[in-house]
Amino acid sequence: MESDNFAYMELAIHQAKLAMESLEVPVGCVFIKDGNVIASGRNRTTETRNATRHAEMEAIDILLEKWQKDGLSKAEVAKNFSECVLYVTCEPCIMCAAALSFLGIKEVYYGCANEKFGGCGSILSLHSSCSEPSISDEVPQRKGFKCTGGLMASEAVALFRSFYEQGNPNAPKPHRAVVEKRVE
Amino acid sequence: MNKQLQQIIHIPANPPVSPTRQPTEKVYASLIEPKHANTIIRRLNQIAPLQDLHHLKRIHKKQIQGGKPELFVILCLASENEQQSNTMPPDVEDVVNSYNLTPFVTEVCKHAALSKEEWEEQCKLWPTSYHPPTYNIHGITGFSEEDSKSVFSFMKSTVELAKSGDHLIVNAALIVDPLVGQIIASACDEVCSWHMRTSKAKTETCHFKQSEGFTSDADANRIATNKTLLSNGSSKNLQQCDTTVCCLNPWQFTRQSLDTSPCYCHPLRHAAIVAIEASAARDRHLFPGSGNSEKLYEVDSSPSGSPAKRQKITLENVKNGGEQDVNTEGSNTLTRPYLCTGYDIYLVWEPCTMCAMALVHQRIRRIFYALPNPEAGALGSVHRLQGEKSLNHHYAVFRVVLPELEFTAER
Repeated sequence: MESDNFAYMELAIHQAKLAMESLEVPVGCVFIKDGNVIASGRNRTTETRNATRHAEMEAIDILLEKWQKDGLSKAEVAKNFSECVLYVTCEPCIMCAAALSFLGIKEVYYGCANEKFGGCGSILSLHSSCSEPSISDEVPQRKGFKCTGGLMASEAVALFRSFYEQGNPNAPKPHRAVVEKRVE
Repeated sequence: MNKQLQQIIHIPANPPVSPTRQPTEKVYASLIEPKHANTIIRRLNQIAPLQDLHHLKRIHKKQIQGGKPELFVILCLASENEQQSNTMPPDVEDVVNSYNLTPFVTEVCKHAALSKEEWEEQCKLWPTSYHPPTYNIHGITGFSEEDSKSVFSFMKSTVELAKSGDHLIVNAALIVDPLVGQIIASACDEVCSWHMRTSKAKTETCHFKQSEGFTSDADANRIATNKTLLSNGSSKNLQQCDTTVCCLNPWQFTRQSLDTSPCYCHPLRHAAIVAIEASAARDRHLFPGSGNSEKLYEVDSSPSGSPAKRQKITLENVKNGGEQDVNTEGSNTLTRPYLCTGYDIYLVWEPCTMCAMALVHQRIRRIFYALPNPEAGALGSVHRLQGEKSLNHHYAVFRVVLPELEFTAER
């Protein structure tokens, strides 16, 4: 089991490397269902000029498009997400963590923490489900997911480091020095 | 009655504290002779400056009924849990002795007031000074009549987008360049009607409509032109099956265990996300050059940046000539913005956490929303992203109260 985790994270890191080759902030991810890789994604914020195109969002769009093409029902799509495990090289940001909770994903493994934007414990804890009882039936409780950090964190950090050492060529001109965190 | 008025309310970065429950600090104070006031204050400012309490006035003038005013002075901080005679620095004690003062401990407010209400409450304890914020994003200190008009007008356009008949059925988003009153992108929730192909085709159509707007450069009727654009380019004509506002109930997707209809849905295509996508598509269309740093300007990244500053940069580029990107229609006054830097977004409802963070990533400068989102809102209701210090970008947030909307929403 443990070795599987590393193998999946290796695939996520491979995606991050592809991002770096395209001069993107190096973050990558894979979605696993029933032990199979069903989608992978890498950060594409620079290419798209859309700063929300994080690796997770890219992979989620691939999955939704695929399942739509396969004619899956809403219930089936929701069930599929609830059986998915995400491996991502950096802690999902607040936006992605919220998105993963909206989709009802089962579990997330991440590499390094994201101390500026992290939504799975660093800044907000969107993965932990709400403990308060629901006030109304109409608005469902926020959904949590199991989340484990620190899987191959040093590899993920090394990628960030080499990316920012070579200088982010896409950073806007008057920009203060970038630290080795995920900046997108 | 206030609800009947159109107004723009700033939603601050810090949760409002009840003015009567502001944190306090203990200080030594004493009654002094008015004739010694100047000398004592000068001396105290040297030997016991009020370092983190600059908002406090050193002197407190108390008007006694029918008598002369009495002057009190803050001598120094009093540390908690200790007897007063032990904690005063020797220099201050010298002052106390030489002027025969009788020190007593009193409470003062620890932090500078953030609002007039807080300030009024502070002064009941000990007078403080109050400086309304003047340094921040345009609008925090209030809007001019002209600016308010434009804000209300854009908000009303946004509400129209979200309406079907008399009902608000989805959330809608409008990204606006406030400098020229130009609509950059508009969108509605698309969580149920999403389809990759349709969506892409629509974005394209949207470009060309927008581009027409650029060629007819007349500033005068910009807003009017945009209104026409809106009605043409909005998703109204498309199949509209979204009937819930997804930012209000973003977890509904996980509850669809009984819905066996084919999934044409994308649970994350909230209005703000779709609008960001459209603005990025517009950016790629108008400025097709590579993401080369030579041409990528961040024209207004600092929170203190003003529209005036942005304009200056644009003008400079024009003067230099040739250096700047030009759009396909040949207008040479357009500077490629860095993401949505300098732009505003209008939303009918306060955005959820995902959308609010997406707007941080895309560097939106100001967010205007009309209705709060008590169960899932991330700009003051459940979370308050504008106050998360660690984030690398902060926008200003305003609620635009439209009386007619309160009525619609209640129904």
